[in-house]
Amino acid sequence: MTRSVGRTIRVDTLARVEGEGAMLIKMSGTRVSDVKLRIYEPPRFFEAFLRGRHFSEVADITARICGICPIAYQMSAVHAIERALGIQISPEVRMLRRLFYCGEWIESHSLHVYMLHAPDFLGYQDAIAMAKDHPEIAKRALRLKKIGNRIVSLLGGREIHPISAAVGGFHKVPDKNRLRELEEDLKWALDASIETVRFTAGLEFPDFEQDYEFVALRHPGEYPFNEGRLVSNRGLDIDAAEYEDHFIEQHVKHSNALHSVLRGRGAYLVGPMARFNLNFDTLSEVARQAASDAGLKPPVKNPFRSIIVRAVEIAFACAEALRIVREYEPPSLPRVEAPNRPGVGYAITEAPRGILYHRYAVDEAGLIVTAKIVPPTSQNQKQIEDDLRQFAPRVANRSLEDATWQCEQAIRNYDPCISCATHFLKLTVEQEIGQEVGQ
Amino acid sequence: MSTRIVGCGNPHRMDDAAGVLVAERLRKLGVSAEIQSGGAFELVGSWHEDDDMILIDAVVTGSPVGKVHVWDGNPPQVPSKAQLSSHGFGVAEAVNLGRILRLLPRTLRVYGIEGKNFGIGETVSPEVLHAVEEVAQRVAHLPREASAHSLQISSSRS
Repeated sequence: MTRSVGRTIRVDTLARVEGEGAMLIKMSGTRVSDVKLRIYEPPRFFEAFLRGRHFSEVADITARICGICPIAYQMSAVHAIERALGIQISPEVRMLRRLFYCGEWIESHSLHVYMLHAPDFLGYQDAIAMAKDHPEIAKRALRLKKIGNRIVSLLGGREIHPISAAVGGFHKVPDKNRLRELEEDLKWALDASIETVRFTAGLEFPDFEQDYEFVALRHPGEYPFNEGRLVSNRGLDIDAAEYEDHFIEQHVKHSNALHSVLRGRGAYLVGPMARFNLNFDTLSEVARQAASDAGLKPPVKNPFRSIIVRAVEIAFACAEALRIVREYEPPSLPRVEAPNRPGVGYAITEAPRGILYHRYAVDEAGLIVTAKIVPPTSQNQKQIEDDLRQFAPRVANRSLEDATWQCEQAIRNYDPCISCATHFLKLTVEQEIGQEVGQ
Repeated sequence: MSTRIVGCGNPHRMDDAAGVLVAERLRKLGVSAEIQSGGAFELVGSWHEDDDMILIDAVVTGSPVGKVHVWDGNPPQVPSKAQLSSHGFGVAEAVNLGRILRLLPRTLRVYGIEGKNFGIGETVSPEVLHAVEEVAQRVAHLPREASAHSLQISSSRS
C-alpha cells in the first residue's frame, strides 16, 4: 500500500522482497531530510538459541534462518566450526560444497532477476502480471530455478531445509552417476543463463552511479564461494578472523535489524556487484564473455545494473556446476571426524546477497559458548538508505506514484532478505515510530 | 498415473507447518507424499500437465482455527494467505500463474487448514494438529482414480 503525506515517499509494506519492511523518505523540494528503511519483521533469537547446543547441530539450526539461502548459513557455520576445531575437509568435499552453493545461487538469482526485479523494468506490478505478456520469460525462470532446486535437493538430502551438510563434510554424498544426471539440465541452464544476460542487458536503466566501497571475498584462483580473504576497492584485505576489528554493528531505532558499517568509513556494499567488481578476472570464461558481450565491465557502479550482474553470476554458477558434475569423484569418506575440542572459529562465505559472517566459540565438550551471525542484508542496509538519499532527488519532479515505484526499485536492487536481517536482535521499536508508518 | 500429494509450508513457522505435517503423517500411513515450501514459483515449476495433484497448506481466511477447507474447480479459487510464503506468493498465486502459463496439473484439489500463529517456532496449535490428522486420514482414504476424474481441469482454459 502506498500513501502520501506532502512530499513524503512512503511504502508501508515493501513488495517483492523476502520478509517484511517499509520505506520512508521525507523531502523538501529536491532536498532529502530523512530516509528510513524500516525492517519490522519480528526479531529472531538464533544466536542465543545456539548457545549450549552441540556444534554438530549448528548447520541445521542456522539453515532455518532463511528459506531462500539456507545453504549459505550452513556453509558459513560448518567452515567456522571446522576452523575452531582445526580440521581440514577433503578436496572432493570442497568441490561438492561449491556445487551446493552453485545450486543456491542459480535458484536465488533466477527468482530475483526474473520474478522480483524484471517486473520493475518492464512496468508490471508483479511476476504474475508480467507472465501474461511474457510467458516465455516466466517459463525460463521457472526451469532455471527448478534446476537450482534440484542441485540443492540432491546434496541437501531433502526438499526443504537441507540437512546433509555437516562439520567435516556431508552426512551423505552422491555417487558419480547421480551427479552426471544433472549434466543435461545444466547444459540447458547455461544457455538459458547467457540468454538471461542478454535479456537483462536490454533493459533500460536510470542514469545513477554511486562511489561505493565494494566488499567481497577474493580467492586467487576462483570466483569466491567459501574461501578467500575479505577485500575492498579501498584497500581492505583481511582474514575472516579480523572481521570484527573492521566492521561494527549499530543499533538504529527505526529498524529491527542492525546496521553494519566499516569502522571509520561508514556504509559499504556487498553482493553480486561487489563480487563482480573485485573478482572479474576469476569468473569462468563463458561468464566473462557473456558480460563483455552485454557491455558489462568492472567497475559497475549503477546499482540498477545489478540485475545484469546477477545474470552473469547465474551463468558463472551454471558453468561451474557443469564443470564439477563432469569432474566429480566421490570422497573416500563423506566427512572427516570432528572431535570435541575448545576453540574459536570464523568464516565468511558468499551468500547470493553478499558476505555472511559467522563466529563460534566452542568449549571442550563441543558446546557452543557464543555465536555471532552477520547476514548480508544487515550489511547492505545502510548503503540502501544512502542510495535512496542520493536517488530520491532525481525523481522528485515525477508523480508520487512514479517516484515511489522507482525508490522501491532502488531497494530491490539489493534483493534484500529481511527475514535474514532480523535473525538475532533484541530491541524495542518505539511505539511512536510504529504508528508513523501505519503499522 | 497415481495422484501426487504435496504438503506445503515451513515447519519452523508454527501453524504454517500444517501441510508438511500432513505429508509426514501420510508417509507413516504408507502413502507417498512430497514436501515443498509452498512458494508459487517452486510449485508451478514442479507441475506437469498430466499430474493429478493434491496440495495441502495452511491458510488464513478468518474461519475458526483448525477448519479444513477444500477447494476444487477449474482451476480451484484458493484465497491468498497473506504473506505466509516467500515474497508473498503462495498456493493461490501458483494456481493463478499456472493458469496463465498453461502449466496447471490435469486435476488439482487443495486442502487448506486454517491456522492462527505464524511466528518463529515449532509449536503448532492443537486445533491445527487435529486438522492435520483429519486431512491425512481423508487423503489416505481417497479413491484416487475417482477423485482424479471428478476434479478434472480443462487445460484449454486460461
